[in-house]
Amino acid sequence: MPSNHNSIKTRFTYRFARSLKKLNKNRPASQSMKETYRRYHMIRVASYASMASAVGPKRAWSRAVLWKIRNRTLHRTLMKKSRIHVLRTRKVSGNPNDLRKLVPGGEGMDFCRLLNETAHYIKCLRTQVQIMKNIVDHCSN
Amino acid sequence: MTFEKSAMDPELKKRIIEDLDRVFLDSSLRLQGGLSYSFEVASYSLNVEMDIAGKDATTEPEKGNENPINYHSTHMSSNWPLNDNNITNTSVGIIPTGNSIVESSACSSASMADSFCPPIWDQPVSGQSLGYCDVNVQNNVRTSDSFGPTSASTGWIPDAMLRGGTFLPTVPGMLPQSLPHFPADSGFIERAARFSCFSGGNLGDMTNSFSIPENLNSYSRVLASMQGQHEVFAGDGTKQHGMQSRKHEMNTTESSKEASLPLEYGTEGSPLKNEKMRESLPCSHDEAKRGVGMLANDSDEAEFSSRGDQEELEGSPGLSFGKRLGSKKRKRTEQNRELNENNRALEQSAETAKVDAEIQHKGDLNPASTSMPAGKHGKQGSQGSDLPKEEYIRVRARRGQATNSHSLAERLRREKISERMKFLQDLVPGCSKVTGKAVMLDEIINYVQSLQRQVEFLSMKLATVNPRLNFNIEGLLTKDIIQSRIGPSSSLAFPPDMTLPYPPLHQTPPGLIQPGLSGLGNSSNALRRSTNSPFTAAFREPTSHVPSVWEDELHNFVQMGINSSAPLSSQDLSGSLPPGHMKAEP
Repeated sequence: MPSNHNSIKTRFTYRFARSLKKLNKNRPASQSMKETYRRYHMIRVASYASMASAVGPKRAWSRAVLWKIRNRTLHRTLMKKSRIHVLRTRKVSGNPNDLRKLVPGGEGMDFCRLLNETAHYIKCLRTQVQIMKNIVDHCSN
Repeated sequence: MTFEKSAMDPELKKRIIEDLDRVFLDSSLRLQGGLSYSFEVASYSLNVEMDIAGKDATTEPEKGNENPINYHSTHMSSNWPLNDNNITNTSVGIIPTGNSIVESSACSSASMADSFCPPIWDQPVSGQSLGYCDVNVQNNVRTSDSFGPTSASTGWIPDAMLRGGTFLPTVPGMLPQSLPHFPADSGFIERAARFSCFSGGNLGDMTNSFSIPENLNSYSRVLASMQGQHEVFAGDGTKQHGMQSRKHEMNTTESSKEASLPLEYGTEGSPLKNEKMRESLPCSHDEAKRGVGMLANDSDEAEFSSRGDQEELEGSPGLSFGKRLGSKKRKRTEQNRELNENNRALEQSAETAKVDAEIQHKGDLNPASTSMPAGKHGKQGSQGSDLPKEEYIRVRARRGQATNSHSLAERLRREKISERMKFLQDLVPGCSKVTGKAVMLDEIINYVQSLQRQVEFLSMKLATVNPRLNFNIEGLLTKDIIQSRIGPSSSLAFPPDMTLPYPPLHQTPPGLIQPGLSGLGNSSNALRRSTNSPFTAAFREPTSHVPSVWEDELHNFVQMGINSSAPLSSQDLSGSLPPGHMKAEP
């Protein structure tokens, strides 16, 4: 495939790599689980943030992601409380609601637009996963 | 050059005529923003009715515009008591500044209109005036032939401007009796209407304030009706194709009609049309907007190129949707082009359409316009019957289907949704044989969940694996990362992925991973599924059901740590891991 120099993939890679570098710079020597978990969480957020900022404000889901990250402190406390509950009730049927919860920003959309955003979101997620896999491969080699 | 209503020399007249022509053609180039140039012309014509007494057109510096002629125009516009503010603001604000020719001709036209209207008010249209106007027409045609159609929109616009320019600069200094009454009602109104067509959003403000008193004569009423109809498409300023089709509507409305009726219809037609148009194009509105803008210029290639760079990922949905929309709109513009020709023929024969027919047209238009068949076949099948029956239908009800506006909108919505579902079906692997919206949605949800879980997993890996590497990634590795599509771990090969967690687990100090894993294991009961062994669960269904395999892999991840770490340091497990951290939400 032809390499698009300004594609979402490239942008995401650069941003994510930069954030990883930053995260690894001030890495304490302690390898506690706490630290690992924190790093894991930061890396995950960085990955989503990089992808959302690479996509830009064009898409509703990327805007929602960036907005969420901006209000992260508030969200963290809220999410912690709701996480248990959501995990226990994971197999809920009722598709549009599930999809709305999965796709960021999907709450306030009509179904047609939700499908549109889902399609784009799936593509970006795929790219994200692929790049992260490549990074892991490179790191572990 | 100060403009006054006193008698003017013939040279001046000629100059004004030439100026006007140049201006009209010039402004036709800049019509995209909805220039109020034409709007001004129409507004002045309307103004003039109120200005019966032949006010002295002295210049008045209302705004800081250097050209005194411009002041004249603003003064003129402010004469009208009804929509004083609207017209003044719009006309002054929208005049293309810096173009003295434009302003001069605007003012000249205003003065012309001013000198016109009183006689029309008082006297009926006479054959004399017709003759006079024809002479003018000829003159102007000669002078402005050289310019040719320059506008980016349909080709007849310069023609219209031309003709519009002709009668406006007629005899400014003539006395009322000898003035050529607009052959007016028909010719002038058409053209004024056509001009006003171009000022999209501005008319919206203006038309609402058109409260036309009953005692206005037919001329003013007709003008008002034109304005009212402009509002119909003035409402959706971005839908320029709508404007084009409506212009034809204008062309056919000549002679006396009731002002109120078209106005009312216009007001109710436009919001209805607007909301339906908006509803019908919610998802790909961006593409549609660009597509419409392009289509107004009849450039299909530009349309596709604008859509082509919207999505950067391959197989962009926007492009495919936009293409489909583009095909719809292309058909519409073809229809419109045919309608253009038809209407020009009609207009040239000076046919006058009746109010009833007009309303019927509009009545047919609204419900039908909401149904845009998503497939091309819908349009093709019914396109043959479009022209003889309607003049400006954009979409058609399919054969043998209900034409109720609600059902049409519903059908349109359903078609859109099915379109997108089909696209998603291609995206999500393993969904080709799945039929039905519900199952498809389930699959989509599962896929999204699995992707999100993959991201979490990989970020966990990165958190544990990375410390070993000094990140030169930004330099060389980025290109490798981007281009290495099929590394040692392919995307869908689960067994290799299963093995990957193992080497890092064994290489890194056990103290690091295992407490983490057992912490993961402690995290929630939902993750603990009954799997007999860590690996058989994964290899049981290697590719069939994507999400469950990933979940099982996570279980493996967890249970590996639990199994291999007999002596657990449970002190680290206390409360550090919030229970639901594996939730698939960013």
